[in-house]
Amino acid sequence: MIQRIKNSEHLEKISREYTAEKNEQSILLCAGGGCMASGAMDVKSALQDALKQNRLSIPVKETGCMGPCAAGPVIMIHPEKIVYERVSPEDAGEIVTTHFIEKRLLKRLIHRNSASREEAPALDSIDFFKNQKKIVLRNCGRIDPGKIEDYYTERGYSALANVLTGMKPEDVVQAIKISGLRGRGGAGFPTWMKWEFTRKAEGELKYALCNADEGDPGAFMDRSVLEGDPHSLIEGMVIAAYAIGAREGFVYVRAEYPLAVSRLQKALEQAREAGLLGKNILNTGFSFDLSIRMGSGAFVCGEETALMNSIEGHRGEPRPRPPFPAQKGLWQKPTLLNNVETYASVPAILMNGPETYAAIGTDKSSGTKVFALAGAIETSGLVEVPIGTSLGELIYDIGGGIKNGKTFKAAQIGGPSGGCIPKEHLSVPLDYDSLAELGAIMGSGGLIVMDEDTCMVDVARFFLEFVQEESCGKCVPCRVGTKRMLEILNRICEGRGEEGDIERLIELGNMIKETSLCGLGQTAPNPVLSTIRHFRHEYEDHIRRKHCEAGVCPGLVRAPCQSACPANVDIPGFVSLVREKRYAEALRLHRERNPFAAVCARVCFHTCEDHCRRSTLDEPVSIRGIKRFLVEQEVTIQIPEVRENPENEKRRVAIIGAGPAGLSCGYFLARLGYKPEIFEAESRPGGMLAQTIPAYRLPRETLAREVRMIERMGVKIHTEKRLGRDFSLESLKQQGYEAVFMALGAPENLPLGVAGEDTAGVVQAVPFLREYNIRGSVPVGNRVIVIGGGNAAVDAARTAIRLDAEEVSILYRRSQEQMPAYAEELEEALNEGVALRTLVQPVEIVSDKNGRVSGLRCLPMTLGDFDRSGRRGPKAAEEEPEFIPADQIIIAIGQRLDPKPVLGSLAVETRPDRFIAVNQINGQTSVPWIFSGGDMVSGPSSVVSAIAAGERGAVGIDEYLSGETHAFWREEWNNDTAYDPDEAPVPYPREKLPTIDVERRRSNFDEVELCWTEASAMRQCGRCLRCDYGKSPVRRETKEKEAARV
Amino acid sequence: MYNITINSLPVSVDRNETILEAARKIGIRIPTLCFLEGHAPLGACRACVVEVEGAKTLMPACATPVQDGMKIKTNSRRVREARRMVVELLLSEHNGDCKYCERGEDCELKALAIELGIEDERFSGERLEPALDDSTPALSRDAAKCIKCRRCVTVCNEVQGVGALFPQYRGFSAVIGPAFSRPLDSVACVQCGQCAAVCPVGAITERNHIDAVWAALDDPKQHVVVQTAPAIRAALGEEFGLEPGTLVTGKMVSALRAMGFDAVFDTNFTADLTIMEEGSELLMRLTRLLKNHENIALPQFSSCSPGWIKYLEYYYPEMIPNVSSCKSPQQMFGALAKTYYADKIGKKAEEITVVSVMPCTAKKFEALRPEMRDSGVQDVDYVLTTRELARMIKGSGVAFTELPDGQMDAPLGLSSGAADIFANTGGVMEAALRTVYELVTGRPLPGENLQVRPLAGLEGIKEASLILENVKPEYDFLEEVEVRVAVAHGLGNTGKLLDRIQAGKGDYHFVEIMTCPGGCIGGGGQPRFTDDSVRQKRIEAIYKEDEGKPIRKSHENPAITQIYEEYLGAPLSERSHHLLHTKYTAREVVQ
Repeated sequence: MIQRIKNSEHLEKISREYTAEKNEQSILLCAGGGCMASGAMDVKSALQDALKQNRLSIPVKETGCMGPCAAGPVIMIHPEKIVYERVSPEDAGEIVTTHFIEKRLLKRLIHRNSASREEAPALDSIDFFKNQKKIVLRNCGRIDPGKIEDYYTERGYSALANVLTGMKPEDVVQAIKISGLRGRGGAGFPTWMKWEFTRKAEGELKYALCNADEGDPGAFMDRSVLEGDPHSLIEGMVIAAYAIGAREGFVYVRAEYPLAVSRLQKALEQAREAGLLGKNILNTGFSFDLSIRMGSGAFVCGEETALMNSIEGHRGEPRPRPPFPAQKGLWQKPTLLNNVETYASVPAILMNGPETYAAIGTDKSSGTKVFALAGAIETSGLVEVPIGTSLGELIYDIGGGIKNGKTFKAAQIGGPSGGCIPKEHLSVPLDYDSLAELGAIMGSGGLIVMDEDTCMVDVARFFLEFVQEESCGKCVPCRVGTKRMLEILNRICEGRGEEGDIERLIELGNMIKETSLCGLGQTAPNPVLSTIRHFRHEYEDHIRRKHCEAGVCPGLVRAPCQSACPANVDIPGFVSLVREKRYAEALRLHRERNPFAAVCARVCFHTCEDHCRRSTLDEPVSIRGIKRFLVEQEVTIQIPEVRENPENEKRRVAIIGAGPAGLSCGYFLARLGYKPEIFEAESRPGGMLAQTIPAYRLPRETLAREVRMIERMGVKIHTEKRLGRDFSLESLKQQGYEAVFMALGAPENLPLGVAGEDTAGVVQAVPFLREYNIRGSVPVGNRVIVIGGGNAAVDAARTAIRLDAEEVSILYRRSQEQMPAYAEELEEALNEGVALRTLVQPVEIVSDKNGRVSGLRCLPMTLGDFDRSGRRGPKAAEEEPEFIPADQIIIAIGQRLDPKPVLGSLAVETRPDRFIAVNQINGQTSVPWIFSGGDMVSGPSSVVSAIAAGERGAVGIDEYLSGETHAFWREEWNNDTAYDPDEAPVPYPREKLPTIDVERRRSNFDEVELCWTEASAMRQCGRCLRCDYGKSPVRRETKEKEAARV
Repeated sequence: MYNITINSLPVSVDRNETILEAARKIGIRIPTLCFLEGHAPLGACRACVVEVEGAKTLMPACATPVQDGMKIKTNSRRVREARRMVVELLLSEHNGDCKYCERGEDCELKALAIELGIEDERFSGERLEPALDDSTPALSRDAAKCIKCRRCVTVCNEVQGVGALFPQYRGFSAVIGPAFSRPLDSVACVQCGQCAAVCPVGAITERNHIDAVWAALDDPKQHVVVQTAPAIRAALGEEFGLEPGTLVTGKMVSALRAMGFDAVFDTNFTADLTIMEEGSELLMRLTRLLKNHENIALPQFSSCSPGWIKYLEYYYPEMIPNVSSCKSPQQMFGALAKTYYADKIGKKAEEITVVSVMPCTAKKFEALRPEMRDSGVQDVDYVLTTRELARMIKGSGVAFTELPDGQMDAPLGLSSGAADIFANTGGVMEAALRTVYELVTGRPLPGENLQVRPLAGLEGIKEASLILENVKPEYDFLEEVEVRVAVAHGLGNTGKLLDRIQAGKGDYHFVEIMTCPGGCIGGGGQPRFTDDSVRQKRIEAIYKEDEGKPIRKSHENPAITQIYEEYLGAPLSERSHHLLHTKYTAREVVQ
């Protein structure tokens, strides 16, 4: 029986009575939609049984959503706030005996923070909770939504009592104005202005409506409030109705939310019974009644005029604005429409004072916002944070970062009307204006986190497909325009994209935004426009190279590993050939696209493994390990297919630089019958492979064998010929070379930029490594500091260790996770005794009285805001600088290209970062007969990217000289290896390659990694899921050629 | 008044005006597709978007009210490009071949595309599915051509109150049509054709009878006669570039004759006959009520408009007893042509083909009603709309505007002025009053030019009354009786009037109902595009025709006198009952 509340004193008295009862120990069980779906009600009855068996009279109370939905079912022990997650009915007995009888924590079910991996039993110690600020969700997960008395104990309806007995309507509007509350439905219109317009509108009959038609995929905060704290919505709406002078109102909620509807319905009945709704509320003479109107789940009905049409019983379609609802809304009467989150904020604002609320958030957007975290995030669920919290904080500090150790790629904010935010903008404060600047919107707060496995074109297509299906079809731009955009996206994803498609999408998108009737259409192109803005290269890759790097678009992807490989090596092909012990064929298949099978078996950064689909099952296939086994089976190198061509033989092609790009270019030209000549500045070919990669990673003979193979195919290598010293581009032209491929790498070292850099004993990593690798000796100190976090730093450190330095440490200004060096290399370095010091920034190199280096002064750093690399940037910690003694300092912070001296007078276009600008498809520079690739174009990058660039350059040069493409290795190929798709995947785990003992590594450069046995290799090959099975390979380069011609 | 600027021109406008109205006032053209004058703007097509300073998006001129100080650009590059793209998108989904579309010449979409300079297809993609619905005798709908401007939805729902068409489904799959995409004949469509009259493209048209008529004309065994409804002559000229309201009766007769019709007659003849029968029926009902004190259904409703009849059968079947049992003039003509006239020329009914030219699509349905076979065969064989006739004339190579004026053939081509005004709202009532009043009192209907002023004009529901004084002795029971009449046009207004009558708020004796706004001059088969100003001009032409006639009352038409003498006997005689009267049946709204 619910008591009718007479006045505010009466309300206080009743709430005091219930507070005592509520403070007793209890188990709060999350009965939000997510936990219910994962079996919360079974947990409840199991807990009740267990308590009964143990004769404990502890109540189990259902609450609304607690937030961490992916960890459900969740329970919290009240009042000590101990959280147990992923509770199953079978756990109930153990929880009761351990927690309540033995008074110990049941450690198995408590949360571990993902950053620190530390146990966090209590609510306040859990990262997910402690970094939130709950206003809208203040009661969700804390009270029983089915009991109005529970709401009273949280000072529920006290704001309403104060308003009705002590405030004039205009005072209420004024208070909302002071609070700075903006509409949480999406657009962020100042709430007080809406209230003021409606209050001032003429008319006896006015309506207050609540938009609970939550349609954004992934957003469910409105549902959670309805399910977890319905009275806060009711209280907010009654206050609003009083402020604007409405006597009747509706909550428009989708019928797909049956739990929300039934809890709200119950709450409405209770409020009515308590005299807090309906006639003569709290005996003040003010009357307002509310009822529920259910929609059938049309996304467009979230648009205010469509929503009103729907309530009126018409087709849910928007109507033109003006007139605005404040003038002519529901049934042409002045109408106020806010969403659930907005209304639910109102009682809290008035309860704690509008100034308090205004102090939260930013100047222009005060208060908090609820976000629904979903996607590739460690802890998904509902979170509420002050507006202005950065995207990075939300994802990493609250959400626990990206799942499965992948890297963050983008976040889609605001649902189908929103946009994507890339890693460069992780520091963006989540407020209305900052998001709008990036082409996204706050929207209703749906936030989908995407990792590297996401194709942004596919994401755009997904949202556009949703919008096209949900468009009401009334206005032309939205109905037809989005359809045309979707068709373009479909064809791009299917590999039929055309030149001009990106421009067409932009043109259509902008026009649709400008001319559509309602918000749905006006925002529909956002996901497309924002992904084009931030990920244009992915669109270009799809259209021009018919390539989906993320390995998502089915029409472009044979197997994700193959898509991820820059050289497009047929990985399932060679893996399955190895499994059948057809080693020669496997190698031939590998060298169809990449001549450096043996080199890459050792040094490739294997992005193929990062995208291996087997990782969704357990762990990726060790593709590099299989390749290592494969190349070990080669006794004499077989020369791959070379097509003699007397015409091509006559055409003279020069290649500058015998690194992986140049050698690969020569290799592929030779296969087409050319006799290219390579000019190499150093005494040995191989580029970075020979000069900087130490022999313990890549034995010299391994490299030499593959270089010899290329020479035997007709490529002539002239060593010690340096561009700018021994010849120039013009002189090549004069000598009759018809085309030139430039692959000089990025030979210049980036200086550290601190005082003392020219002190004796300070060296750059690349010259240090080159000197040892080419000349066989280099001076090494006893206490060596290597500055930098990349592979060159690790190589230098491990080389120094081998050259018997006593102490070697790597200093890096960021954290270990942020180091660009390959994790496995770093791990070996640490095994070998290299010390790692992170979060230190060199500020000065100190010298002794002899002018030799004596050490390094460093500033301790800490991680600050997210920078444009998507990582937390280092910032000076508030600590004293530190001195680290050293007698050698090796600087390894990066490489660059100074193009002026090498290009001479030729007007080869460069990019702002001073690397060479080329056509991505064929490597052609702005000077038609000069092509380029490798680090010289991309900046320091991987070996396999350079190999791929060499291949593209070779095809480009062939086409330039002959007018046709003859790249036969790009033609379709069908694997004839056996595969039974019905067979269950073999259960073997991923295996690492064996290594020689750490003790055996000092003072020598023996190869560290060893090869598997045949049995290991067979097991590993068997793990391949054969994603290529049943798919005919895409004849991608043929299309590429077409695209290039357009 | 607000002061605004349009393309930098200062304009003073009323507060309630839209940007479109303000622009039109100063002669600035803004293209529209979905806009329908007199109805709440939908803002659906976006062809009328303009740039309003300070607005984030472009605004639809049809739906945006002016505000003081507004600065509007109707022809900026941004506006032109947006409009162009809107129309390009429409063209990209529109699945119609202009080569074979009857709207070739007056397609609004095509005209707009030309106006905006669209010459090639930039946005190709999936087109609408071809979905021809010719389930009804009157109308043919092709959803593939539909541009979803929803003018048809507006007229069907708001003007006619029928609600046979509405938008369904979502996104690119959105269609306009009957519920659940069922065929039109399975819903309560009255086939008035108002949808076809407002359709900007070839998506809704009348079912074409042109080929059948040509075939009959070419058949030497057939004696082909044509009847032309009164509303044709005031509108047909528009199809040949003449101003609305140009009367072309004589040219039309010449054209029909040139096309090879064996006799050119006038539906006006049977309109006069209708007055005789319907007037007599009214007097009979009044006699039975006032003299014999029988329980008799009053008011009596007119029955000339077949859309109205179908509407009544669907929505107000309980009022069927109130409708005059008279067939429409078209059907009276058909029955007499194949009996009375056939006898006269010594032919059998089967040897005569009756072609009607009607402003109406519902007439095509009416001609096929199973009741309409009192001559022993189908009384009216083919029905051409005004638009179809114009196409036939064009197809026959006749220079219409150069034709001399011809004369209708006797006897079925002779008529009074009262018959002419059947074409417009209030006309049947006025014609009936001219005859009934004179029959009862022996004096002509009072009032200037025999007109009943309150019944003229385009107001939706009109009423009038007159007191009968000094009646003839045989009508003494009508002495001092105030005869109350009402007129409604457009089925929306009709519904309102019927509700009022059912609620006991309209104690009328006689009520005229016309399906289409303005009456037959605004019929669904008339030249496009018909708005109120066109309707007004056509009505004025009709009254001019009436006033120019030597005989202005139906009962004074000598051909009428003759047919009663020679053939029918008297009004409501057994033979007239057989040939000129009919019955109606209630219909299920949902089948």
